[in-house]
Amino acid sequence: MARATVAVTVPTVAEATRTPEVPAVHRRRPRALVAVSALVAAVLVLPLVFLLVQAHQVGWSQLSMLLFRRLTANLLWNTVRLSVVVTLASAVIGTAAAWFVEMTDLPGRRVWAVLVVVPVAIPDFVVSFGWVSIDPSLHGFVGATLVMTLAVYPLVYLPVAASFRGADPGQEEVARSLGLGRTRTFLRVTLAQARSAVLGGCLLVSLALLAEYGAFEILRYQTFTTEIFTEFNVVFDPAAACGLALVLVLLGLVLLTADGFARGRARTSRSGPQVARVRPPHRLGRATMPVLAGFGLLALLALGVPLGALFYWLVQGGRTTLPAAASLSSAAWHSAGYSAAAAALATVAALPVALLSVRHPGRTTMMLERSTFLVLALPGIVIALSLVYFAEHAAPSLYQRSPLLILAYAILFFPLALVAVRASVAQAPTGLEEMARALGCRPWTVLWRVTLRLVTPGLAAAFCLVFLSAVTELTSTLILIPTGAQTLATQFWAFTTAQSYAAAAPYATLMVVIAVIPSYLLGRWFNRLPVKAAAPT
Amino acid sequence: MTRLAATDLYKAFGSQPVLKGIELTVPEGSLTAILGPSGSGKTTLLRVLAGFERSDRGVITLGDRVVEDGRLFLPPEERGIGYVPQEGALFPHLTVKRNIAFGLSRHQRRDGRISRLAEMVGLGDMIDRYPHQLSGGQQQRVALARALAIQPEVVLLDEPFSSLDAGLRASVRADVHRVLREAGTTAVLVTHDQDEALSMADVVAVIRDGRIGQTGTPQELYEHPVDPAMAEFLGDANLISCSVDSAVASTPLGTLPLRSGSVRVARPTAAVVMVRPEQVEVWPGGSVPGLTGRVIESQFHGHDTVMRVLPDPSSGIGAIMARTDGGLALSPGTEVTVTARGAVLAWPDESGDR
Repeated sequence: MARATVAVTVPTVAEATRTPEVPAVHRRRPRALVAVSALVAAVLVLPLVFLLVQAHQVGWSQLSMLLFRRLTANLLWNTVRLSVVVTLASAVIGTAAAWFVEMTDLPGRRVWAVLVVVPVAIPDFVVSFGWVSIDPSLHGFVGATLVMTLAVYPLVYLPVAASFRGADPGQEEVARSLGLGRTRTFLRVTLAQARSAVLGGCLLVSLALLAEYGAFEILRYQTFTTEIFTEFNVVFDPAAACGLALVLVLLGLVLLTADGFARGRARTSRSGPQVARVRPPHRLGRATMPVLAGFGLLALLALGVPLGALFYWLVQGGRTTLPAAASLSSAAWHSAGYSAAAAALATVAALPVALLSVRHPGRTTMMLERSTFLVLALPGIVIALSLVYFAEHAAPSLYQRSPLLILAYAILFFPLALVAVRASVAQAPTGLEEMARALGCRPWTVLWRVTLRLVTPGLAAAFCLVFLSAVTELTSTLILIPTGAQTLATQFWAFTTAQSYAAAAPYATLMVVIAVIPSYLLGRWFNRLPVKAAAPT
Repeated sequence: MTRLAATDLYKAFGSQPVLKGIELTVPEGSLTAILGPSGSGKTTLLRVLAGFERSDRGVITLGDRVVEDGRLFLPPEERGIGYVPQEGALFPHLTVKRNIAFGLSRHQRRDGRISRLAEMVGLGDMIDRYPHQLSGGQQQRVALARALAIQPEVVLLDEPFSSLDAGLRASVRADVHRVLREAGTTAVLVTHDQDEALSMADVVAVIRDGRIGQTGTPQELYEHPVDPAMAEFLGDANLISCSVDSAVASTPLGTLPLRSGSVRVARPTAAVVMVRPEQVEVWPGGSVPGLTGRVIESQFHGHDTVMRVLPDPSSGIGAIMARTDGGLALSPGTEVTVTARGAVLAWPDESGDR
C-alpha cells in the first residue's frame, strides 16, 4: 500500500529540487527549523551508521570470509535475476494497463481502474500465501516471478496512470499532425511523456523486491533478505547477517543512483499552463475483446486468487479453527497501536523537513533532504537489525520493547510521510503567508494560523500512509516485536509457517480490510476538501 | 502631506538590478498609480514597500515613521500596510467573515467593522461563504476589505484587476475606487494598464527600467510628458521632426503654437514635436493646404475612427495617426490632406540628423 503512493509522487520529489524564487520574508532560515530537521535527518541515517559500526567491529577479514563464498554469489544471482525479470514484467504490465485505462475507450474503465490497483493493498506475503496454499508445488524462480509480478505491478501502474492523466494531449495531436502514425506517436511522444513515471515505478518495484522477506520465504526462494533473516534469527550469526546486509544496502544505493542518472536525462515537461482538457479516447475497435480478456485474467490472477484463497480458508476453518475473538482483537489492537504511534511520529518529523525544503531551498537544505531519502535504500530488515544492534550496545532496556518497533516503522516509512507533507506544503501558496504577515502576524503565528491549516490534508495523508504501511509490515516486526505481544502480521506468520492456513486466514483478512477500507475513504475525503477545491486561489 | 515616501531605493536580485534609485512620494489620501511595462520593477517596488523584500539601499518612511533605512528593517507585520495581491490570496480555509477578521484582535472583531466592511464592498450577504464559492471579482473585493480592516496607513494594490476578465474589470475597478474614497485611505496601485492608471489615479508615477520616469496628475502626464518615449508610452502620439523657434513649430501639418514646457530658442532649431492623434484633422481630397497622403488603415470604433495616413514620400514623414469623429470613415486608399490644430509640445531633436 504504502510504497504505492510513493510511486505516485516520487517523480514530483525528484523534480521538486528546482529552486523556486523565494521571497525575502522566507529567505532567512529559521535556526529552530534547521536544528529540528538536522536531528530528524540524523536519526534517519542512524541505521546506516550502526550497520557500518557493526561491520567495523566484525572486521574486514571476517567480512570478506563471509562474503566471498559461493552462497553470496548464489544470493546475488537469485536477487538480481528476479529483480530484473519482475521489474521488466511489471513495467510492461503496469504501463500497458495504465494506457488502456487512461487513454482508450476500454469498456468499464472506472471499474478496471480500481480492480487493477487494489492488489497493492494486499501485502506481498498474503499474495504468495494465497498462491502457495492453493498450489503447494509453486516455488522457486518461476513461482517467485509470477507471484511477485502480480503483487507489485501496481507500483508501476499508479505513477504511469497519473502521468498519462496529466499529460498534455496537445503533444500527441501535434505529433499526429506532423505525420507520425499511431504507433510512432505512442513510442516517441506518449511513452516519452511517461518515461519519468515508468522509471519511478521501476525503482519502487526493485526496492520492494530487495526488501521482501515473507513472500520469498513462503515461496522457498532464497534472496539476500531471506538469508539475512535466517542468519540472524535462526543461525544466530549477527556477523554474517551484517555482512549480507551491507551488500543489500549497496544494491539499494546502486538502484537509487541509477534512477537519479536516468531521471536526470529524462525530463518531461509541458509547455504552457496546465489545462484540464478532455481528450477523445483512442478507439480500441476489434482489439476490445482481447484487451478485456487480458484485464479479466490480470484481475483474476492478481486479485481473485489471493482473495479467493483467503475466503476459501476462512470458510474451511469457519467451524473448527476460528481463532478466539480475543486473540484476533488483541493482535489487531497491537497492530493499530504501534502503527498509529509510528504514523504520528513520522508525520511530525516530516513537517519541519518539508517546511525547510520547500520554503528555504538551498544547498544545505537539499543535502538534508537527500539524506532522508537514503532510507529508501534501507530494507526493513536492515533497519531492524541495526536497531537491535543499537539496543544491545547502548540501550538494553529498549530491546524488544515497543518504542524500538515504533521507531523502526517511523524510519522505514518516513519517505512516505515526507512525500505527502512536502506536496501539500509546496501547494500552499507563499502569498498567503505574506498576506498574514502584512495583516500583522508574527512568523510563528503565521505557521500556526495559516501554514498548518493549509497542509492539514497532507498531514492526514502522511499519517494514513504510514499507518497503512505499518499495519502490513512483517519483516522488521518479526525481529522487533515486543516480548509477549502479537500483531496481525506476526500471528498470520506464525500460523502460515506452521501450515495452519485456515487459522492464518482471519488475520490476513483483517489486515487487508484495515488497509483497503481507510485508503478508499482517504481518497474520497481528499476530493471533497474545500482547501483542495480552492487551492491556489 | 506625504503619507508614504521612498528615497533612493535600490534592489537587485543576484547580479540583476531591478530598482535603481526610486524616488516616490505618495500624498495623504491620494490614489497613486505606479504605471510601468512588465519587467520595469513595479511589483518589486511594491513588495519592498510592503516589507516582503528588503531593499539594498534607501529609505522608506510611512507618515513620520522610518520603516526601512539600510540598518533598520521593520518586518511586514509591524508596518501596518494593507496589501491586496494580484489574485486576492484569500485564505481558502476561512470564510469571508474570518478572512476579513484575520488581522484583527478579538476585541476589534466585535466592534462591527467586519459587517460594515462587508457591506461596503457589497458582500454583506456572503459573509459565511468560502473563497471558492465566490467569483473572481468578489474575491478581489474581500481581499480589499481584509486589507482595510486593520486600518492601514496605506493600502498597496498589486495589479488587482489583471486576473479579471474585461467585462468584470471595469465594474470591480469602479467599486474599489469608490470603497477607497469612502474609507479615505491612501492607496498605491501598481498596474501596466494605462487606461486604469489614467482613469483611477489622482497621481501617476511612471516607472521605467527601475527608476521613476515622471510623476504627476494624469492630465499633466498626458499633456506634458518629459520626453518623446514617455509621450509614446502614455497614449498614442505622433512624433514629428520639424523646426521650432521661440513661439511656434513649423511642421508639415501647419504652423502650430508651442505648449508651455517646450524647448524655446531664438533662432529656428531642429526639434521633435508631439501631436496627439485627436489633434490631427483629415480632409478628403486636396481642398486645404497641408500634408497630402493616402489612408492606409481605418478602424471604426463607433464613437470615433482611428486612421493611419501615409504622407507622400517626398515629405519624408512616416505614417500619421489620426483620431476623428465616428462619422468620418475613409476607406484605405483615399487621397487626403492632414492638418493639425492646437498647441504642441516640443523637445530638442537629439537624433542630430537635421
